[in-house]
Amino acid sequence: MKTIGVNELDALCLGSVFLATGGGGDPYLPMLITKQALQHYGPVSVQAVDDIDDSANVVAIGAVGAPTVSLELLPSIDEASATLDAYERHTGEVVDLIAPFEIGGGNSLLPIIAAVTKGIPIIDGDGMGRALPEAQMMTYAIAGAKPTPAVARDYAGNIACFETDSTMTYERHIRSFAMAAGGMITAAEHPMKGQFVKGAIIPNTLSFAIELGNTLAQHRGNAEAMLPHLTDVFRHSEYGACRLLHTGKVTDKSTKIVGGYDVGNLTITPFDSTQASMEIAIKNEYLLALKDGEVIASVPDLIVIVDYETSTPINAERLKYGQRVAVFAVGCPAFYRQDAALKVVAPRAFGFDVDYNPLI
Amino acid sequence: MRIGIDVGGTHTDAVLMNGDSVVCAHKALTTKDVASGISASISALLTQSGVSKKQIDAIMIGTTQFTNAVVERRNLSEVGVIRIALPSGNGCPPMCDWPQDLADAMGHHVYECHGGYLYDGYPVAEINEGEVDAVVDDIRRKGLHVVAISSAFSTMNAQPEQMFREKLIQAIPDVRVTMSHQIGSLGLLERENAAILNASLLPFADRVVDAFLQSLKAYGFRCPMFISQNDGTLMNADFVRQYPALTFASGPTNSLRGAFKLTGLHDAIVVDIGGTTSDIGVLQNGFPRQSNVVVDVGGVRTNFRMPDIKALGLGGGSYVSSDGASIGPQSCGHRLVEEGLVFGGNRLTATDIAVATGVEGVGDAANLSTLNNSVVQTALATMREMLNDNIEMMKPNAEPVPVILVGGGALLVQGELDCASRVLRPEHAGVANAIGAAIAQVGGESESLQSYSALGREQAIQHVVDEATQRAICAGAEAASIEVTEVEETEVPYMDGNINKVRVRVIGDLASLQANQISEVSA
Repeated sequence: MKTIGVNELDALCLGSVFLATGGGGDPYLPMLITKQALQHYGPVSVQAVDDIDDSANVVAIGAVGAPTVSLELLPSIDEASATLDAYERHTGEVVDLIAPFEIGGGNSLLPIIAAVTKGIPIIDGDGMGRALPEAQMMTYAIAGAKPTPAVARDYAGNIACFETDSTMTYERHIRSFAMAAGGMITAAEHPMKGQFVKGAIIPNTLSFAIELGNTLAQHRGNAEAMLPHLTDVFRHSEYGACRLLHTGKVTDKSTKIVGGYDVGNLTITPFDSTQASMEIAIKNEYLLALKDGEVIASVPDLIVIVDYETSTPINAERLKYGQRVAVFAVGCPAFYRQDAALKVVAPRAFGFDVDYNPLI
Repeated sequence: MRIGIDVGGTHTDAVLMNGDSVVCAHKALTTKDVASGISASISALLTQSGVSKKQIDAIMIGTTQFTNAVVERRNLSEVGVIRIALPSGNGCPPMCDWPQDLADAMGHHVYECHGGYLYDGYPVAEINEGEVDAVVDDIRRKGLHVVAISSAFSTMNAQPEQMFREKLIQAIPDVRVTMSHQIGSLGLLERENAAILNASLLPFADRVVDAFLQSLKAYGFRCPMFISQNDGTLMNADFVRQYPALTFASGPTNSLRGAFKLTGLHDAIVVDIGGTTSDIGVLQNGFPRQSNVVVDVGGVRTNFRMPDIKALGLGGGSYVSSDGASIGPQSCGHRLVEEGLVFGGNRLTATDIAVATGVEGVGDAANLSTLNNSVVQTALATMREMLNDNIEMMKPNAEPVPVILVGGGALLVQGELDCASRVLRPEHAGVANAIGAAIAQVGGESESLQSYSALGREQAIQHVVDEATQRAICAGAEAASIEVTEVEETEVPYMDGNINKVRVRVIGDLASLQANQISEVSA
């Protein structure tokens, strides 16, 4: 079985922020505690999707909440494993394998801490292949897994157990618990059997995030210079196409909270002023990229904004007026191009009156 | 008249200014005893100008001493480090990601306590009196006199930090405390780091400020002294004693502000060419454009606001390849006066190229008789290309912008640059950083989370403006001149109540200069 150790963490963080498409939060603090956990327990075992035991008990783990809050409410090293313990107590089941919520940002690390602390493997894959704001957008839910029994735990050890049928309803309830708990919780949810997971997960994303992170670090340089390396690394992955859509300077950022989410727009004025500006629609993540009112790229394809000079990905909360950036688009994994998935992740699922036009 | 002084690692530059014009300037090597070097520079200015010390209204000093103390791990004091945020953050204790030698210099006196607040004002945990008393007692028993305190969301509610400070002062009357909410913004780890570094510099700050004040007093000056900080504004002596860490990026800031003053251009690129590097910065509305990434100081993450600087390995001492096609980043630095051809050495340097093109007054051009003109032309083209490419990266847009050349190495660049609408080489460009120090204003900044639903947007922002204004007045600004220069609102996602992070920055002129601040010298 493959493993992930301390030496892979920097690359994993960098790659996972790229795949976070603006969301997911800064993984710096989660990385510090993951490092401690891996130093203490040794490398975590990583289970390839094809090798999952059909009868294995699998549960999805991750954090739910507001990235800004996590800047003050620091994570704890035992948070993830304590959530898993609470889940096992509540369900009376023993968990054999951990499935990450999402490969985007800090949520790529929390499941690693849970797995290595409990001494069980983590699956080389995740439930989004990127970051997305809501639970029903996970592959596990789309493939038909029930969200519960689920257990959520806050920083102080307060625990909530959920029994709901639909993931939409579950999402509403767990979101309100997160807010009551100061804006950030850890959850174990969507229990599944190994056999089911094999067809309900984006495979290889942990390994891929590391490969992507290594590429970004090794070729650190401006967006144009980075493009051929990214094209190359994405072409041989679950994702496919990678295109450089735009370069320019952030000249407007307006976001408002609507229904508990960060919704707004971003304007990126090109360095070359004869070209049109790019507008980016945000709902926690970057969802649409438009030029002259025309959609150039959209969710579920990945829209990624990076620092122009270094190609370091920047998440939405940290984007500021005046930053010089580049916008990349990456084709989403095939799973998200099925009708059942597009119903919950295409632009219309976010309230945009446009169709999904796959990036090729 | 004002005197501006910039104490750099290599040079101490000084300038005497009458209003907006430069009366005279002086450049000397930085002395080991910084304060006496400052006295010598002032003395040189007064002799050169014939101006009497009574005509000097204020002395402004920019210094890299505090930055160097952190970088070189010198002059740092051991710090009692208290974080009030348990049960959150278990596994991320203070300084857990610091370089070992710097953490060692702090002495490993780390205390974690229950308390702090959530974003909505609900306590993270109840304060445990017994826990607090035990910490205070341990710090007293260890004989620590410097303490840094941080707590969760203290930028929104600083009460836990203030409570702890009160208890420490009761137990240890001469204790020096830095509270994180006074020095950093949202981001507990970065804010705590800033507080620890600042606390560790407090005793050194007293020594530096005392030495400055005493040497000015010995010289017979009755005028106030100020020290410049990261954002191009000034701190009075008392403020520096409390916030020495706010000087960390004052060097590049002063050179950008000096370039602004020398040219009057509000928006331009400034290239400060030294012995080893060219520091490229951007003037936006007369002030340095600030960096958006987490700033690393001596290997520690902080959230200080610092100018966005791109350093390029091209300076007066940069080595030039024999064909002229490659320059730097290797440089002979201060040894230019030994190694450069014009100084009788045997290494071809960027300075030699400049002299070969006709720059006068540097070394002996006769040493260059064997230097082939085609090499000189190639080297000039190389330098121009390096600058063009890097300036291009810093430009706000594709339009050509004015480029201001400052610093001792400004003479390297002859003629125009493709990326520039024009190239300015103002008189006294060599001491731009000292000029920047001389013309600095006074600023104040505040940041907190505000609920727009509860207060209304306007009132919520005004609340933050008032706090920033108060800070500017404390730092020496004249209340009537204070203007708001920046309001930054960030909505916090997933939150109800329309919670916004509001950051406000204000700037004002120095309050009328009173001749009583020499009395600030502490015992």
